[in-house]
Amino acid sequence: MTTLSKPMKKFSPLAQAAMDYYQSQAKQLMQAEGEGHAVTAFRQAALNRFLEQGFPTRKDEDWQFTPLSNFLKTHYAFNGVSRIDEAAIAAVKPKVDGWHLVFVDGYFSEILSDDLAGMPSGVSLESGKDALDFEQGFRVFADHETDIEQDAFGMLNAMLFDDGLFIELAAHVRLAKPIVVSYVQTLASHANTTRCKIKLGRGAQLQLIEQYVAIDAGCGFENSVCEIDLAEQAKMSQVIWQNLPEQGMFFNNQFIDLAEQAQFNTHYIGLGSAISRHQNHVQMAGERIESEQNSICFARNQQIMDTRTYTGHSVEWGASRQLHKLVLADQAIGVFNGMIKVDQKAQKTDGMMDNKNLLLSNKAQMNAKPQLEIYADDVKCSHGSASGQISADQIFYLQARGLTKQQARQLVTLAFLMEPLESVADHAVRDWLQQALSAAVTPYLN
Amino acid sequence: MFLNIENLHAQVEDKTILKGINLRVNPGEVHAIMGPNGSGKSTLSSVLAGREDYEVNAGEIRFLDHDLLEMDADERAQQGVFLAFQYPVEIPGVSNKLFMHTALNAKRAAEGLPALDMFDFEQLALEKMKRLEMSPIMLERSVNVGFSGGEKKRNDIFQMAMLEPKLCIMDETDSGLDIDALRIVANGVNALRSNERSFIVVTHYQRLLDHIKPDFVHVLYDGKIIKSGGFELAQELEERGYDHLIQAYEKV
Ligand SMILES: Nc1ncnc2c1ncn2[C@@H]1O[C@H](COP(=O)(O)OP(=O)(O)O)[C@@H](O)[C@H]1O
Ligand SMILES: [Mg+2]
Repeated sequence: MTTLSKPMKKFSPLAQAAMDYYQSQAKQLMQAEGEGHAVTAFRQAALNRFLEQGFPTRKDEDWQFTPLSNFLKTHYAFNGVSRIDEAAIAAVKPKVDGWHLVFVDGYFSEILSDDLAGMPSGVSLESGKDALDFEQGFRVFADHETDIEQDAFGMLNAMLFDDGLFIELAAHVRLAKPIVVSYVQTLASHANTTRCKIKLGRGAQLQLIEQYVAIDAGCGFENSVCEIDLAEQAKMSQVIWQNLPEQGMFFNNQFIDLAEQAQFNTHYIGLGSAISRHQNHVQMAGERIESEQNSICFARNQQIMDTRTYTGHSVEWGASRQLHKLVLADQAIGVFNGMIKVDQKAQKTDGMMDNKNLLLSNKAQMNAKPQLEIYADDVKCSHGSASGQISADQIFYLQARGLTKQQARQLVTLAFLMEPLESVADHAVRDWLQQALSAAVTPYLN
Repeated sequence: MFLNIENLHAQVEDKTILKGINLRVNPGEVHAIMGPNGSGKSTLSSVLAGREDYEVNAGEIRFLDHDLLEMDADERAQQGVFLAFQYPVEIPGVSNKLFMHTALNAKRAAEGLPALDMFDFEQLALEKMKRLEMSPIMLERSVNVGFSGGEKKRNDIFQMAMLEPKLCIMDETDSGLDIDALRIVANGVNALRSNERSFIVVTHYQRLLDHIKPDFVHVLYDGKIIKSGGFELAQELEERGYDHLIQAYEKV
């Protein structure tokens, strides 16, 4: 008989069944990769952790408002044959001039992606699948493994990721057009597990657009992890558009490291999925870094939308800006959790985090927790969160000029949602986002 | 009949504010409504424009062929009722351009006219703004956000000029304006005067009336019109204030 130092955690039958299922899937993948492969030990370590910790429950503070029971009920499949409808895929690609890459059901599709032959030298692009073929290839995606595996979805990602994207720009390389990555789901109840790594050399510049959408019966479980690494003076702007079907599941976790004078700007737009959780972990470990994190979420029916940021200032003169806006209709649940942490050495930090929410129904529920943790004494930091309803004064003003009540509510709500887009610098990208957001949200505003 | 208000009673929550207003306005007339703070001037203006917070519990308002009280605020606006607000509202994120383009086309649709495209709209808007000495930049800015008090009032008059309403109700448009802004606003109003268009001008001061020359002046007190007269009544009020009228009214 063995004595355990820690009592084993008890899991609900629902959670246990899901754990057994994902364990079996991971084992299949490891078998296919072959026992001798270095990635096997990596996956096995994640699996061990997963079996010990399991899925979070509402007792875990970080998951208090994001119950997973609806996620656990479905065992998402890792195999399946995608029916590729080229016209339908072309139709959902963002209307933006750029280098378009396409993933179908979690796998990179070379045929559907643009020919990258014309890319300037100094740009390396590789699919995660190709990287995994190398003995130590997975390591390029695992710089933050301890942090990644803080939660079950990070562990699942380590156990099961089978494709993804590696992008590297050498020093001073600037892409004139954005790289536009479409993750398209075509299968129901399918799991798409990807890892990305984006590395910008000194002074390099990249604009990245990622979208998560579905065609046909597509409606699955997206689990992605992304590491972003900006060297000195590198500059990156990112847009993530998530508009999966209402029953989809979306978990995205980003780890962003910024060096001296780097500039990073990200916008997350969340419209779809039954449960969605988008997280940024930004580390500002150099002088005069500028970071900006924004999000726009519109949730309706029973949707749960969870947005989280962690922003660590560890060196002087960093500036971080954040604006997070949620509109909640029906019985939707919104969660915002943000933390700005300022180390003792990070004097002259300028940190601002703002969360504003519009509740269109009195059954909708917003849970906001903006936090500051400051150990330096000469800093300028602020955080705030406010939730409210549409102002009756505004609606009357617009009606008094001849707009119907519905037009007035649409105009005011869209204007509220669009505000974070003002900091999208590229006009073509901003125009696309404004049109796409308006088209996606307007049908639900009355 | 252009506008006929009969025995109008209105309340908000449990408080009766309008206690039997009678007012008849013919096409082309300018009526001034004066009265101390709290007498119900803004309430009357809001009830005419269709604000829902006020409950009308007696009386009738006929406007052209319409029973005005049966119509929503937007229908009234489309039929030619316009209220320039005492406190114009800020709408972050909605540009003046988008707002007025939408409003103008809503009105044109109600009149069976085709929509104006952005180009024609802009041309028209810039013309009207020039007359009101407004910078073209104002068209791009969010409705009233960051505008000074005077700019907000001018923006309302700009909207009035764009929509060319039949009945213009101006609620203390002159308060908070300096002499230049007052002149510009008054010129804007005078440019709109015609035999078909009528005005109800709510004000505390004679100075706007000096520019606009109303045909009738009414004193509103405690939810009722206690005295009506011509322009000379405004001059009398400027010299003597409201007290003597209120005292005379309360004795009866
Ligand atoms: N929404 C409201 N709720 C409660 N009281 C109101 C409201 N609107 C107006 N009142 C009251 O009604 C009275 C008349 O107000 P108002 O019409 O604004 O007067 P005026 O414009 O003549 O100054 C005042 O006593 C005011 O406090
Ligand atoms: Mg008033």
